Amino acid sequence: MSLQTDFGPDSGGRVKGLVIVKPIVYGNIARYFGKKREEDGHTHQWTVYVKPYANEDMMAYIKKVHFKLHESYANPNRIVTKPPYELTETGWGEFEIVIKLYFHDPNERPVTLYHILKLFQSPVSDGAPPVIGRALVSESYEEIVFQEPTQLMQHLLSNVKPITNGPWNHDTDFEDKKEKTLQKIITSHSKVRSEITDLKEKLHLAKETISKFKDEIAKLQNSGSTSMMTGL
Amino acid sequence: MADILDILDIEQPTAEISRDSILHGDKVKKKYVTAKAVKRPEGMHREVFALLYNDNKDLPPLLPTDTGKAYKQTKAKLGMRKVRKWTWAPFTNPARKDNAVFHHWKRVSDEAKDYPFAQFNKQVTIPSYSESEYNQYLKSEDWSQAETDHLIDLCQRFDLRFIVIHDRWDRAAFRDRSVEDLKERYYGICATLSKVKTNPWSNTVTMVNGEKRIYHYDAEHEKKRKEQLRRLFDRTQEQIDEEQMLLTELKKIEARKRERERKTQDLQKLISRADSGNLPATTQVNNNNEGTSTPSNNASNIARRHDRKLHKKKLTAQQRPIRTVESVTVEWSGIKFPEARGTGVWLRSQRMKLPPGVGQRKTKAIEQELRLMNIDIAPTPTEAICKHFNELRSDLALALDLKNALASCEFELQALRHQYEALNPGKTLTIPPSICNSVADGESKPVGEIIDVVGSPSALNTTI
Repeated sequence: MSLQTDFGPDSGGRVKGLVIVKPIVYGNIARYFGKKREEDGHTHQWTVYVKPYANEDMMAYIKKVHFKLHESYANPNRIVTKPPYELTETGWGEFEIVIKLYFHDPNERPVTLYHILKLFQSPVSDGAPPVIGRALVSESYEEIVFQEPTQLMQHLLSNVKPITNGPWNHDTDFEDKKEKTLQKIITSHSKVRSEITDLKEKLHLAKETISKFKDEIAKLQNSGSTSMMTGL
Repeated sequence: MADILDILDIEQPTAEISRDSILHGDKVKKKYVTAKAVKRPEGMHREVFALLYNDNKDLPPLLPTDTGKAYKQTKAKLGMRKVRKWTWAPFTNPARKDNAVFHHWKRVSDEAKDYPFAQFNKQVTIPSYSESEYNQYLKSEDWSQAETDHLIDLCQRFDLRFIVIHDRWDRAAFRDRSVEDLKERYYGICATLSKVKTNPWSNTVTMVNGEKRIYHYDAEHEKKRKEQLRRLFDRTQEQIDEEQMLLTELKKIEARKRERERKTQDLQKLISRADSGNLPATTQVNNNNEGTSTPSNNASNIARRHDRKLHKKKLTAQQRPIRTVESVTVEWSGIKFPEARGTGVWLRSQRMKLPPGVGQRKTKAIEQELRLMNIDIAPTPTEAICKHFNELRSDLALALDLKNALASCEFELQALRHQYEALNPGKTLTIPPSICNSVADGESKPVGEIIDVVGSPSALNTTI
């Protein structure tokens, strides 16, 4: 690994033209106790996490992860410096967790993720109680884009070791999701495009018709009543 | 206690015998007596009395007690060395030719030296010339030889102090000459002689790099310079005031000029912006109301027209909902997503944020369309998805704009048809069906209602 040295004094030591993308997955799993806890009214245990999408140890480039919880929690600012970047708590409500990722190079600004902590299944049916013991997962795919990283960051990003020798899986099949989403968007897009050409034609026709109508009216007004014109 | 007892002439009880009473008992009595004796005499100042009698009530001593040794020394001793002697001695100044003898103080030790200040007596070397030299080189129509000799003599006597020379000029023998004339003649002689002779006799010749440099006196320039100074000095107070006034006026004029230029530029910018931005709407208004506006280069004229245009635009905008649907000016361009940013770390999903220029209504409409298409409003952010998703939304926005434009076109067509029917009862115009079909069911209804509200054809006629 040879570090590049040709950079100007103003470039901040950034590697020109290089873009490194690190996909990640963030979200939470939640488990229902089965009942409301007596002492504090909590109903769920949940774990919020940030993990690499690929089998890579993020410690190489992540300095720390800052989870900002709801203010009703005791010391809501939690900082995790080592993988796994996760935090387990109990609670009774859903709220937005602010996750801030700090990098080893202080020249790279931290990035912020927002995750709505999910405890309940989407259609909240009042009657049916949540399933006991089965975990609910709500996670999102995200890509951290390092545009022209600093040389230090480039070095760190390039030397990432795998976390585990075993398989590295996610609860959500993001590859499938990506594929399907892209297909759906492309097909919808072509539909919208044809709609646009159709609309443009119609608009053109409408404008022509308008001018035609105007001509007709003008003809009528000229040949017809001059008294009306003077009134105008 | 004791005083009161004394005053009342009561015998003091002697029962209390303490250490204090033994020590001070009789003293108190004594003090009482002496205080009476040294009472301040009538008319004596308190300060003076205080000098005589201090707190102890002692009388001042009759004999001096201080020998004075403690405070002053018999002789000042300033240096470590032995004192050298000064004498009042006569001296002669070698710079003087009259051998005058003066006296001054000097040290005994430094004897037999020349008067040190004689060296500052610098002598100016004045050129000299022989009879033949004068006749050969220095002849002048304006100057006679006697006059020239007189000048050189005065120069010698007064060390080239031309003001003094001018003062002492022999006006009886020669005609009066200005300082400039005298200088011109003198330096002219110097220059001529220095060319002819080789010895550097004059300080008007300086050697620079082995080359002779001759001081050239420009009498014309000097005369002008002095005249200028004289005039400046001779100005009256009124003239000075007038000059000041004119200067401030000039400043004002320049400031006004700059201001005018700035305003013209601003105006020009405004006009060009207005022309490019509002052209479709404004020209239409102009055509409808008056086709007589001629282009003019005068900036203010344009500005006034511009103002008028804006005013009229407002008017038509107010009229529009009532009847006139003259123009369909909708900007459709889709959504412009910001270009790729510079360096640093960012999240892919940030790419999919709608730019702030997109209004809330449009955002809502786009999201509604996406939901209809069963597409997540925040899809998994990969590079390809981001790109296509943004393109899709841009085209959706464009399609929405086009639909709106078409709807207003249809509205206009309906209005025109009604107008036509009113003018020419019994006949009608046909709107191409494809246009009407495009409008969604929900939207076509209000259009019809509005047309009904517009009123009957006869009412329209009269209002026109």
